[in-house]
Amino acid sequence: MIHFLVVLFAVSLLYISISSRMEAYVKVLFMQGLIIFLVVTLEAAVLNSINYIFLMVETLGFKTIIIPLILFKAIRKMDVRREVEPYMMTFHSLVITTLIMIFSFVLAFLSVKYSGEIKPLYFGVSISTILIGLYIIMSRKKIITHIVGFIVLENGIFLLSLSIAGEMPLVVNLGVLLDIFIGIFLLVIMLKRIHSTFEEIHIDRLTDLTD
Amino acid sequence: MIAAILLYPLIAAPLVFFLESKIINRLAILIYALLFAVGSVALYMGLNPIEFTTYFGLDSLSMLFLLIMALLFLAAAIYNMTYFNHSDVSLKGQTEYTVFFLFFIGSMAGVLFSQHLGLLWVFVEATTLFSAPLIFVERSRSSLEAAWKYIFICSIGISLAFVGIILLSIGTANLHSLFFWDLYRNAGRINPFWLKFAFPFILVGLGTKMGLAPVHAWLPDAHSESPSPVSAMLSGVLLNAALLGILRVYKLMTLCDLHYYADHLLLAMGLLSLLVSAIFILRTNNYKRMLAYSSIENMGIISIGVAIGGAGYYAAMLHVAAHSLTKGAFFLTAGNILHRFKSREIDKIRGLLQTDKINGWLWVACFAAISGIPPFPSFISEFLLVKGMFQQRFFLTAILFFFFLTIILYGMGQSVFRMSFGSKLPGIPAEKPMLSTYLPQVIILFLLLFIGLYMPDFLDTLLRKAAGELGVIKYVGLP
Repeated sequence: MIHFLVVLFAVSLLYISISSRMEAYVKVLFMQGLIIFLVVTLEAAVLNSINYIFLMVETLGFKTIIIPLILFKAIRKMDVRREVEPYMMTFHSLVITTLIMIFSFVLAFLSVKYSGEIKPLYFGVSISTILIGLYIIMSRKKIITHIVGFIVLENGIFLLSLSIAGEMPLVVNLGVLLDIFIGIFLLVIMLKRIHSTFEEIHIDRLTDLTD
Repeated sequence: MIAAILLYPLIAAPLVFFLESKIINRLAILIYALLFAVGSVALYMGLNPIEFTTYFGLDSLSMLFLLIMALLFLAAAIYNMTYFNHSDVSLKGQTEYTVFFLFFIGSMAGVLFSQHLGLLWVFVEATTLFSAPLIFVERSRSSLEAAWKYIFICSIGISLAFVGIILLSIGTANLHSLFFWDLYRNAGRINPFWLKFAFPFILVGLGTKMGLAPVHAWLPDAHSESPSPVSAMLSGVLLNAALLGILRVYKLMTLCDLHYYADHLLLAMGLLSLLVSAIFILRTNNYKRMLAYSSIENMGIISIGVAIGGAGYYAAMLHVAAHSLTKGAFFLTAGNILHRFKSREIDKIRGLLQTDKINGWLWVACFAAISGIPPFPSFISEFLLVKGMFQQRFFLTAILFFFFLTIILYGMGQSVFRMSFGSKLPGIPAEKPMLSTYLPQVIILFLLLFIGLYMPDFLDTLLRKAAGELGVIKYVGLP
């Protein structure tokens, strides 16, 4: 079951790399949050109880509901439901995403030799999620897609942290969650300001500061 | 004492926020700076009666960073007392600035006190979140752009550092702990493969905050757009805090006999930082950006020092102290010039020495101190560093080091002297500068001069201990 979910997560990455509408992005983020929530639910046996409850709240509350909602509202308000305007063609984008995945799985299977603790499927999917998050940030023009890329990256990191046995103390976990949440919140606030100041939210406009 | 320093912002910020008064805003920061200074000195004297948690603590390495931070914060707080006197920022804006400033300082102190790798990460990310609104205080187009780039680039960098931490914790799965002392004590049990896998992530991630090339892109923008007390804290303290994180992991690498691997990476990034700043210092026409590139250069010098090892460790620690204090004073002076001339462009400023004698001389003196002209301490650190390079047979590095440093010295010198000399520009108001706007810099420069001429014993011990934390010192000695 967990394996199926992780594969589904990988499929969502392929989908995000070819879709060109902003709303589809937010839907994918919602789906990824839900998948991570289900993975956490099924992993219950490995985690201790306080951490478990905490992770449930985090994944369902923040990743699945609040963050997609904030983004969705921002998109509505700024009326940027149109194209995401990538620098590259959809087909090329799909090829690059696939290459990233192949690379991540090769890396995962090579790493298994050094530590029996990790599961190659988990590890491969999380590394490719992180890299694809970075790829989304680099290959899209609109600032809001950068935030989406950043959240995909964070999802990948979360999946990676689930794949390891040693867990963080609760204090640290709380801090990490709080930081990421405030970070995304601040990014959205600044996005709105940029939208009202620069009128467009293309990264090409942010070129006042250069040497 | 640690508790007092960490909890002060939590108590003071709500008061500041609700009272919303100019005087209280300024006093809140000044009182924090005094508390910080007294607290740090008390901690240095070994007065820490209550150890309330194992998550926070101090060692010889963070002690040095803490004392530097305390001194620089005090200087910035005094300067801050009159900073908003002639500014258009509204009272509400100033109050927000004060609240974020307090939290920014608190989170940087948190980085220095953290004894847990995960907690250190949390505080480093918190510094980004609290300082982004500080860059945006002036509400201009360019400051918005700078703040956006800062928060976005640093968040991604810090996320990558977290990937590194997770990879590290795979390698330490049999320890079930990321406390530094646990890691150091059980270094032999860590799987070297995962450590090697993790280090580049942590280096790039924290290196983003530290301003090492090629992940320095946010630094010139943020430093040039933020108010001068914030620029001083960013350059003098924040970069050091990120450096401390890297050094903590670096120590783990040395204990696992992987320092050759870490050294090569640090050396490459250090030299690249020198190259980047050499190129851009010649091109830039904005003196605050020029100072920012100089910060990149100095961070490069420090990482080269760590990479070389031996006497390099000591040189790097001395350079940390020298750079932070000098650059803090430099940015505060830049703030005065900006206030007087209302321009950040080098071309629009002439005859600084005639228009404003005190700030003119401060500007020239800061330049002398940052570029390693004797007897300032950065001369000693750079001299020791080069000596270390020859001892360890890094000849090519030494040649490149001299080459880049010469270009940077030329580039900065040209700009500084063009601004300082020449005849007075028309239309610049002649007013007597307030004491608080130049006194902190004068005191810092005299302190630096004193350290350069006669190194006090306690400082020498402090530096030796800090350097000793990093690895075995083969040779340490003053020229």
